Amino acid sequence: MTAPRVDEDALLRCADEPIAIPGAVQPHGVLLAATEPDLAVVVSSANAGAVLGRSGGTLDDYLTADDAARLREALAGDLAEVNPLRVTVAGAEVDLVLHRVDGLLITEWELVAGAEQAGAAWHRRLPTVLQRLSASATLEELSEVLARDVRTLTGFDRVMIYRFDDAWNGEVIAEDRREDLEPFLGLHYPASDIPAQARALYTSNWMRIIPDAGYQRVPLDPPINPLTGRPLELSGSILRSVSPVHLEYLANMGVVSSMSVSLIDRGKLWGLISCHHYAGPHRPSYPDRQAAEFLGRTASLLLPTLAASGETDGLVEVARRTAELTAAVGRTPRALATALTEEDVTVLDLLPAGGAAVRLDGQLRLLGTTPPAERVLPLVRALLDAGIDATDAASTLVPDAADLAESASGVLVVPVGGEDFLAWFRPETLREVTWGGNPYQSKTAQTDDGPRLSPRRSFDAWSETVRETSRPWHEHEVAAARTLAGHLAAATLNRASEDNRLAGALQRTLLLEELPKVPGVALAARYRASADDVVGGDWYDLVPLPSGRLSIVLGDVAGHGLAAAAVTAQLRHALRAHLLRAAGPAAALDGLNEVIGALLPGEMATVVVAELDPDSGEVVLASAGHLPVLHAGSVGAEYVMDGRGPALGILDAPSYTETRLTLAGDDRLLLFSDGLVERAAAGLAAGLDALREAVGTGPTAPEQLLDAVLGALNPPSTDDVTLLGIART
Amino acid sequence: MLFDVGRSTVAGRAALTVRGELDLATAPQLADAAAALMQSSPEGFVIDLSPTKFLDSSGARTLMVIARDARAAGVPLHVLVPRTNRPVRLPIDLLDLGTAVPLVAAASEIGSSVAHKDAGT
Repeated sequence: MTAPRVDEDALLRCADEPIAIPGAVQPHGVLLAATEPDLAVVVSSANAGAVLGRSGGTLDDYLTADDAARLREALAGDLAEVNPLRVTVAGAEVDLVLHRVDGLLITEWELVAGAEQAGAAWHRRLPTVLQRLSASATLEELSEVLARDVRTLTGFDRVMIYRFDDAWNGEVIAEDRREDLEPFLGLHYPASDIPAQARALYTSNWMRIIPDAGYQRVPLDPPINPLTGRPLELSGSILRSVSPVHLEYLANMGVVSSMSVSLIDRGKLWGLISCHHYAGPHRPSYPDRQAAEFLGRTASLLLPTLAASGETDGLVEVARRTAELTAAVGRTPRALATALTEEDVTVLDLLPAGGAAVRLDGQLRLLGTTPPAERVLPLVRALLDAGIDATDAASTLVPDAADLAESASGVLVVPVGGEDFLAWFRPETLREVTWGGNPYQSKTAQTDDGPRLSPRRSFDAWSETVRETSRPWHEHEVAAARTLAGHLAAATLNRASEDNRLAGALQRTLLLEELPKVPGVALAARYRASADDVVGGDWYDLVPLPSGRLSIVLGDVAGHGLAAAAVTAQLRHALRAHLLRAAGPAAALDGLNEVIGALLPGEMATVVVAELDPDSGEVVLASAGHLPVLHAGSVGAEYVMDGRGPALGILDAPSYTETRLTLAGDDRLLLFSDGLVERAAAGLAAGLDALREAVGTGPTAPEQLLDAVLGALNPPSTDDVTLLGIART
Repeated sequence: MLFDVGRSTVAGRAALTVRGELDLATAPQLADAAAALMQSSPEGFVIDLSPTKFLDSSGARTLMVIARDARAAGVPLHVLVPRTNRPVRLPIDLLDLGTAVPLVAAASEIGSSVAHKDAGT
């Protein structure tokens, strides 16, 4: 399998070919390079003597006194404005074209005789031509006008407007030709037909002509610039001799004369006006070529204002869908995913696509025909990471996705914020491309110097089926997707701040505004919200029971924000109901665990319940996965390690157990959430020790005790902290 | 604050070794890794907390959720916590995690059925 490598070598060799410094010119003119201001000729093309009657010397030697004076006057100004300077040499009219490079004045002398001239009539019509160009409403129209007028002006047998795609393949999008010629319209040409260094040259030099592809090169003498010691730079020359590979290419196509004008859109080579002549050598005069270049430059300026007519297909429809979906998003900011996927108009209707994916709040929803869910994320991520929002050939960018071509050859993706996104998928559309000759045929020829690129010999139309590509995405479709994503991101932001407000309000209802007055019991509560989150999952409750006893509850639901607050509210009310009915705290926890299993699957909470008899001081304790409560008496404080079971929502049927203790005299009971001790600098054990110390030695009255505990432990504000203190009076 | 969930093998089973502090910020990483392993190792896996420096209630909840999901999926799970790892053992004991999470104190307590199967092939 060495053939591809040989091809690459040959292509590289071709790309290396020094097309800007060929050391020779074409024979339809003479090149003289002179130093300034003495105008001493230091480089001459070898045909100077034959055409101009002399070589060497100074430029003055070639010109009449009048013409020499005009030349010197021109040199003082902008050379672009004087070209061409029409002079008379040995009785013959010559167009003298001037430019400077690397410290030398390059003068090129082109005989007027032998050139085709469109004549004054055409030039008088120039304003009409320009008006036609600028009146073109579409790219197709502009291209047709351009091809027709350039052909009228220059008289070539065929004038084509050639457009490059992203991979530098070319397509003939407009053509004006001699009627008997076979049409080239719609043909594609591979990128290698115009190698990279030629495209680079075409971006700086707008116009090239080869009047006779069968020409004999005219060497420069000497071939180097004596000021720099390097080969004379000819990229700005009108006579530059071209690559023999290119001449062979033209000959294979049957082209005798060719000319091309660059079309450049905002600095990037967009296409070419490509002119062919078959009947024989053909040389439009320098002024006519200038006019053709001027038309090319004018069209280039118009390019950004025109879109291909297909590009606007569905524009109105897509805009209408964008408005409908945006309105739906505005109506239901709390159910964005539903608004986009379950209503009459879904994201899939926004633009023509086979499938769509909506990822909001981390939840992925798929509509229509899409890759499987687990493949959507990696594909979208790979494209976004590569900075690509739309592709009609995803597998060329993400090779892993080649097997997804059937549903996702085309992908359009817009981020919504965070990891969320909207994406649309288009299926593989088999597309027929007609190449001007088989672009894959071998193009290398073995020579003594190794493989050399040999231009294509066959230009017979050759059709190819392109796979793993979809219908392309229009710019206005990408823009509509971005608009919708922007509205979604804004709605999500609004919702987040709204959620915080709601959750805050909800949590305030979970925390008692005022503790109930229970005879014989002193109660205190403290709640400190987390600085990161408006709402944590902590809650506490005091439930006076019909028996005269008092249930004291402290719980913590896993999670934060509105969802956790809503679960907390449900658990609080469910636990109240069970406490009022059940035989004791453990039975109430069994009931609450059932509630979670049946109504809130997946949720988890810890809770501790202390049931106090104010008369006797008896306390029944049961804990579901909560940190132990602290019992402080006259001899110090101890954690109550009995009566504990797993957190709620973990096991189907745990059997919670209870433990009993008595609050005697000044005894205090402290219930707390993990935020109080968990993040102590020295660890949980140290936090628990510090809490026991603070309670054991602190004030007996619950209000003062809680303040003292908070002061001593100073828990970080990264989690919410809840404390309940109970004593008998 | 270094945290890392690494793939390893304990007692012949696929394992997740948890280094650093397992808390509110890092627990989701363990949850993701465990969910993936539950798919790829239906014969069972181990969460190794030997090098874990800290465990808070969020980390404990995550372990409980993983244990619950493993139970539901019928995937054998062991959570390895040596008794000498006090900072992790304490919250586990305080929260009575043992009732909900299959804890072992040493790799030797894990049935090595997978290792035997490997030896036989």
